[in-house]
Amino acid sequence: MKTIKTLRTLLLLAFFIGFTSCSSDDDGNAPRLDIETVTVSNLFAPQTGGQGQPVGGEFTRFNFSTGMQTTSTTDWDIAFRGTTIAVNGGTATGSVDEPERNGNAAAVIVDGTLAGVNSVDGLTFLQDGTEGFAIPSGSDNGWFNYNFMTNVVSKIPGKVLVFRTRDGRFAKVEIISYYQGAPANPDGFNDTPRYYTFDYVYNPNEGETTFE
Amino acid sequence: MANLSRMSLNKNNFYIYFLLFFMSYSHAQEVKSEKKDSIKVEALDPVILSATRTPRQLSSLPLPVTLISKRQIKQTGTVRLNEILSEQTGLIMVPDESGFSGIQIQGIAADYVMVMIDGVPLVGRSAGNFDLSRLAVGNIKQIEVVKGPSSALYGSEALGGVINIITQAPKTEDPTGNASFRVGSFSQLDANFNIDQKFEKLGYGLFINRFSSEGYDLTPETVGQTVSPFENYTVNGRLYYNFNDNLKLFSSTRYYFQTQENGFESQDDFFEGDSEETEWNTHLRLNHNWTDNLRFEYEFYFTNYRATESSESPVTNNVLFNSDFNQYLIRPEVRSIYRFDDSGTLTGGFGYQYNELDRTFFDSRVNFNSQYVYAQWDVNLIDDLNMIVGARFDNHSEYSNQLSPKLALRYDISENFALKGSVGYGFKAPDFRQLYFDFTNSAVGYTVLGYNVAIDKLTELQDAGQIIDVVVPLAQFDDPLKAESSVGINIGAAFKNEKLTTEINLFRNDFKNLIDTQIIARKTNGQNVFSYRNFDEVYFTGIELDATYMWNDNLRISGGYQLLYAYDKTQLDRIDNNEIFTIDDSGRTVLVERSDYFGLVNRSRHTANLKVFYNLPKIKTDFNLRLIYRSKYGLFDTNGNIILDTFDNSFVDGFVTANLAATKQFGKHFDLQFGANNLLDYTDTNIPNINGIQLFTRLDYNF
Repeated sequence: MKTIKTLRTLLLLAFFIGFTSCSSDDDGNAPRLDIETVTVSNLFAPQTGGQGQPVGGEFTRFNFSTGMQTTSTTDWDIAFRGTTIAVNGGTATGSVDEPERNGNAAAVIVDGTLAGVNSVDGLTFLQDGTEGFAIPSGSDNGWFNYNFMTNVVSKIPGKVLVFRTRDGRFAKVEIISYYQGAPANPDGFNDTPRYYTFDYVYNPNEGETTFE
Repeated sequence: MANLSRMSLNKNNFYIYFLLFFMSYSHAQEVKSEKKDSIKVEALDPVILSATRTPRQLSSLPLPVTLISKRQIKQTGTVRLNEILSEQTGLIMVPDESGFSGIQIQGIAADYVMVMIDGVPLVGRSAGNFDLSRLAVGNIKQIEVVKGPSSALYGSEALGGVINIITQAPKTEDPTGNASFRVGSFSQLDANFNIDQKFEKLGYGLFINRFSSEGYDLTPETVGQTVSPFENYTVNGRLYYNFNDNLKLFSSTRYYFQTQENGFESQDDFFEGDSEETEWNTHLRLNHNWTDNLRFEYEFYFTNYRATESSESPVTNNVLFNSDFNQYLIRPEVRSIYRFDDSGTLTGGFGYQYNELDRTFFDSRVNFNSQYVYAQWDVNLIDDLNMIVGARFDNHSEYSNQLSPKLALRYDISENFALKGSVGYGFKAPDFRQLYFDFTNSAVGYTVLGYNVAIDKLTELQDAGQIIDVVVPLAQFDDPLKAESSVGINIGAAFKNEKLTTEINLFRNDFKNLIDTQIIARKTNGQNVFSYRNFDEVYFTGIELDATYMWNDNLRISGGYQLLYAYDKTQLDRIDNNEIFTIDDSGRTVLVERSDYFGLVNRSRHTANLKVFYNLPKIKTDFNLRLIYRSKYGLFDTNGNIILDTFDNSFVDGFVTANLAATKQFGKHFDLQFGANNLLDYTDTNIPNINGIQLFTRLDYNF
């Protein structure tokens, strides 16, 4: 089972939230929901094939609003299979065993640190489609590099994956590791791949385009 | 295993020999040595040829020059050029990411250092590196290293400096020379024969060397050796003929052949094959004195370097590699040297160079040619102020013309103290590989295309349906690839008295248009197509310090130090713009600050050496100990941001190697030498060119 825990709550956030709720939310609506930084550890994303064979297998789906892996075929935002990340928006790209897209999710990669991406304003979101995944697959193309000498998949630093969820809210993600237990220097021949550890920040408030 | 036991055996023998050696000294009460005091001889002002292309006193030169004498080579017991060079300040032998080793001068990589014998260039590089171990040092009079751009005299490649090997010319009617035999760890065998003789008009020199080793393995857990067994042969014949006082002929032919085994067993297969290298150099020069003040030199030079490599399995017919590399260079040149009565020396020259390469991964044989002209004026403007000013113009078939100026000044403040400064331009033409390569890695599937063939080859790949998309505008290939170039500045001071010689030099080299690979297209197999492009701008700056102290006639201590900063300017700008990120110890992205940027790979901030040469004339013995230090450096980026930063994990810690040698003279003709290289037995799997402790003994017969 996946252990989902809160690693660090940005104390400053609380201050900012308090500040913004005082200044803008003065029309008596429901109280604003908290924005937290959450770490997901060891989310298993198996695949079949690869190494020249056609890639297949069911995607591991993830729901930002619960912060949990899900088997629901509708209530999911993003999904993982090997190094590939799909969004619940657009259409299938054409590979086998892809989940049906029934939401309006989309994605874009932004250069920066996770804390440095504060708003989605001005970003151009893409959805999955026959042209490919919204998060481009392949080495040195999206979020990772693959070194054939060491057989290691390593993340490219400074790539923040920004998602629109299936229902129009926003989340930002930084992948930390692709290996079980998130070793600092993975061994491509001994460590177990396809275990995602990532940080995410999800803004549950509908209509908000910031992460503050 | 076999190597290990042999080594320890050698070690034991070594200590016993050493003990015997010392005991025999303490008992020997010999007559005072009649040996000429060669330290004094050395102190007489040596002459340098490479700095100006004319004989020139070392002590009066405005340029930073390192001189290595025959005596130093003999005393240290080194047999190949790489060994002796790596003991000099600011010169290090560096294995790069290609696995080949080359020399770094002032931080500048081997690609930008010209290697010459008697003033003519050698060809045949592996991934830009010139293998200096190809050169035996048994018939060398001296090695000259001129630091800083020297393209004003030598053209392409001489950005970082030039290394010029000056061979011994015959002097006496009695034949002189030596025969030596050296045995060392790792089954190293080195045999030398060298003879020179000069009659009234005719002189000759002959040098023969055979060198072999069983190689060594720093990673026994992997298949194959770090260095496989090899043997090589060098033959150099030289002929000198004086038609009269005004017309003198010099001709030299050198032949080198090496064969190295490539066979090894892997878990499920075994491979056979070998690597062969063959090199020919033929150098003809006619010196012609027209008048007392004017002389001409007519020179013709031809060289051919060929390397073939194969490794395949006789069982499964798997081919690991099979390649051929065949390069020719032909260069006629005419020089004139005019000595004014009171206003210096004017040197001028022009020449033509033809360069041809045929190799695996090229569509066809390709060739370059160039014409060049140069001039240099070496003059004392006033008594204590020397100036060298010069320029060279190269017209090349494949890239834009190059004008390479140079200016150097030296001011003697007093008899002991001088200031020097020089500034020069250097360039390196794009090499054949960067223009004509067509290589697809069969195991992984990526493709590398030379600049001049990129569009054609890409079209072929597109037609074959192997390309998803082209990621750069192809219009960038319209203009020819530019030559890489640099501007180098050296400013220094020299102090010299009876006992102490010191020199300080501040250097800065700014490189631009460096050629590097870029992705130009994506392939359907998920791999990329690479080609070349001018884009990097880097700089190398630092300080060199050298000091030699003669304690007395018999004890000489010298030390050297180099401080180096080597950075990519483009990356510094990107850091300033907050565009570069790294991964901290928790796996999270953080912004790279300038203080996190370690600089270029393979560069050590500090390098240093300390050498003690001690002579005991009573027992006709000399000792020397040389310590060489290199501080921490990084091998490559490990966290995906292209640059080497403090969070990368490819750093090699600083280390010291110690080399020791002792030579005792027996009678008039024999020298017996013992030595140990890498006495501290330092090894690191990241440094393939340094093996464990190597003990050796050499017997030398001099006549």
